[in-house]
Amino acid sequence: MSSYLDWLENESVFIIREAFNKTKNLALLWSMGKDSTVLLHLVRKAFLGQVPMQLVHIDTSYKIPEMITWRDEYAKKHNLKLIVGQNKQALADGMGPDKGRLVCCGALKTQALLDTVKEHKLGGLMLGIRRDEEGSRGKERVVSPRSSNSEWSYKNQPAEMWHYYNLHVPDDVHVRVHPILHWTETDIWDYIQRENLDIMPLYFDNGEGRRYRSLGCAPCTSSIESCAKNLDDIITELRTTETTERAGRAQDREDTYAMQKLRKDGYM
Amino acid sequence: MVEVYSEPDVKKIVVVGHVDHGKSTLLGRILLDTGKIPADKVEHVRKTCEEKRVPFEPAFFFDALQEEQEQGISIDTTRVNFEFDGHRFLLIDAPGHIEFLKNMTSGASEAQQGIVMVDCVEGIRAQTSRHLKVLSILGIREVIIVVNKLDKIGYDESVFNKLAADLADLADGEGLKCLKVVPISALLGENITKPSENMSWYNGLPLLPFILKVKEETLDFTTGSEPFRMVLQDVYKFNDKRYFAGRVMSGEIAVGTEVFFSPSGKVSTVSSIETFPQGSRQKAFKGESISLCLSEQIFVERGEVISSTKEVPEVETELSARVVWLAAEPFNPDNEYLLKIGTNEVKCRVEVVTKPGANKAPVTVLNNGDITDVKITAERQIAFDRTLASANLNKLVICSKYETVAAGVVNLKSGRKVETPVADPNVVWEQGYVERAQREEQNGHKGAVLWLTGLSGAGKSTLAKSLENYLFNSGYKVVVLDGDNLRTGLNADLGFSPEDRTENIRRISHLAKVFLDTGFITVVAAISPFQQDREQARKTIGDADFNEIFMFCPLEVCKSRDPKGLYKKVTTGQVSNLTGMSSPYQPPANPALRLDSSKMTTREEVTAVIDLLVDNGIVKGDIKVAAITPQEAPVR
Repeated sequence: MSSYLDWLENESVFIIREAFNKTKNLALLWSMGKDSTVLLHLVRKAFLGQVPMQLVHIDTSYKIPEMITWRDEYAKKHNLKLIVGQNKQALADGMGPDKGRLVCCGALKTQALLDTVKEHKLGGLMLGIRRDEEGSRGKERVVSPRSSNSEWSYKNQPAEMWHYYNLHVPDDVHVRVHPILHWTETDIWDYIQRENLDIMPLYFDNGEGRRYRSLGCAPCTSSIESCAKNLDDIITELRTTETTERAGRAQDREDTYAMQKLRKDGYM
Repeated sequence: MVEVYSEPDVKKIVVVGHVDHGKSTLLGRILLDTGKIPADKVEHVRKTCEEKRVPFEPAFFFDALQEEQEQGISIDTTRVNFEFDGHRFLLIDAPGHIEFLKNMTSGASEAQQGIVMVDCVEGIRAQTSRHLKVLSILGIREVIIVVNKLDKIGYDESVFNKLAADLADLADGEGLKCLKVVPISALLGENITKPSENMSWYNGLPLLPFILKVKEETLDFTTGSEPFRMVLQDVYKFNDKRYFAGRVMSGEIAVGTEVFFSPSGKVSTVSSIETFPQGSRQKAFKGESISLCLSEQIFVERGEVISSTKEVPEVETELSARVVWLAAEPFNPDNEYLLKIGTNEVKCRVEVVTKPGANKAPVTVLNNGDITDVKITAERQIAFDRTLASANLNKLVICSKYETVAAGVVNLKSGRKVETPVADPNVVWEQGYVERAQREEQNGHKGAVLWLTGLSGAGKSTLAKSLENYLFNSGYKVVVLDGDNLRTGLNADLGFSPEDRTENIRRISHLAKVFLDTGFITVVAAISPFQQDREQARKTIGDADFNEIFMFCPLEVCKSRDPKGLYKKVTTGQVSNLTGMSSPYQPPANPALRLDSSKMTTREEVTAVIDLLVDNGIVKGDIKVAAITPQEAPVR
């Protein structure tokens, strides 16, 4: 089985190196979750232990508090260059999930991300999204060019053949790069276990019989019933589960095509 | 840490066919009937179908976009990992509408096998044929044909049989092996995971068991030994060390191997193979993303193909390829395009090749979905491997400004003509009265050709002159054919293009043959960069008399010597096409001798060549270099 994880890893490292070579000011979008933390590890693999790029975290101010504490400690420990993006204007105007979940995601995540890309002149962003997360992500390309308003033209995506990625884009376009698009949730946990990665404790049950399977903003993310206290427990649980990974994410269920609508505007 | 890495055993299957023939439905059905979809996702699709007042539609597991579900059409490709009965599959859905051909092609490019879906009511349609052609271009060799919607024709066996025969012929015509034709109903889930009572006349395996059987039968597939290829993605400098980062596309590489860079022609040796966090290792294998450290510092950039010095890729500026046009924007012969092979990108011009005898005006328009042969003329040389499909270095894409407009493979026959001219059949060889053996007897020794090949500045002329001096003074008939000297007269009409280099070597080899037949020890000193040309020289001269001597010398040493000032002129732009710099050098695979003039004196080199001649019975064993002092070469 180890060779399958190696294959996933080798594919991802190839993509990361392509993107890094071709993109001006490539950054890594790091939510501190399991996927983007795996992605961060793959960046180290690609660059012989270095992280030659900035990390971006979009802080909605509604995150589960432990996430922010963990983020700051981890960034300090590993000496990471971290940009924290926030839509301060929207927050000052009182934006929150009570204004409507999709409206809130659009303002505090999508708009904040777009502003951060512009402010820091980022030519590209690497994201830890995966095809098996939900339907619209399943339709993604490894490299997805986004026009100046960040829109995902899902009805007219570029051809992406073999290992040839469309990284050559006009100046006002930034690319979204998805190096772990081909991984599954189970792959991620198998890999975290094999590589012995430091991972946020919220993913584990600390004795109350609940844990987070997917992390997000506190008001819109619920924990699941689970007694998985370690990686082995999580992997066993995933092999028999009857629910999807993002079942605890309220914004996904606002509308049948909620994710597609959010992502069309540039959501992660 | 893995000692031996091998590509994982995942069968990648794409489902193709005309729009509405049931591709997404089939894939959804496979996942559903094997229990691979979480209950809440099934519930979500059930609810969506109820809202839309349509029957439960398994295609919605793949067609997740709103427009796809509302119009019942796949817009884009997606893929799903599927584990069944201990086997891993990657199932790829591909849209069937011509407008989305680039999406179909994007999905199919990842596949190893195709499932071609045909609706038995509609029969073979435009995209059925086109998709078969595209699969063939993408290098897919096997297909399973699935005839769908049998429920709509009352499970009529004769309709199925007729269609099955036509489809098998169609696949065959595109060079695709049809493994089986299976009748199914994707919507009702018939004959997919288990046999259908309604089709008891079909006595083959249902689709999924058949796919499993095919996979099990190919489990013992061994890759054999493929030549080493690695694409160079980037060169990193961390902590004062340079790392040549890239991916092994085929074969394997070990520390200590001498490596060759194409198209630059540079040579170095692997001093270590680095990965993180494991550190240094001794070997790396196909599929691995690694970094190499080199013992000789050379300047190379992204785009090179790294190989061993023994088996190198082809390097050309002109090539012919079969491509599928994938852009809404039509082809324009006046446009400049970008050719990508491996990690290399070169500006190019593209011409559509019309079939001989077609007697038509040249094709200047290609529209989305057109499939044709093209001639690509690149601005600079590019490396590729037309016969090594597994390394993907025969696959190319053509881009216009920001868009991939075509994809295809390099055709097996090159655009470059390397055929040796053949004399008119009316020319008759006039046999002389004096034979070579008589001449050799009179000369007191046998004749031979010593063919010195290597970069400019590697010491070919120096060794040739010293050998001539030594042999002449020892009483031997000897002559030097120096490539540069011949270019002042016999070959003065030739330049340094690959074609002219080939012709240069052809003429030199015929001249060498004349001297050989006269019983001379004939020393040829010519860069002769192409393996193919030297092999042709070996044929002209005869294998027994042809002694290939590889004058190996690191490029950096040749550059520092620069006896003719050519390397300097390359940097100032006064010379182009210098071997090792802007023109490739393909080292001999099995030279009779390999002499490293950066480490050996001329006297040592002469001794080595004389030993070779003694071993071959050309010169007498009692005369050794030590006995007669050859003129020492000037100090290098």
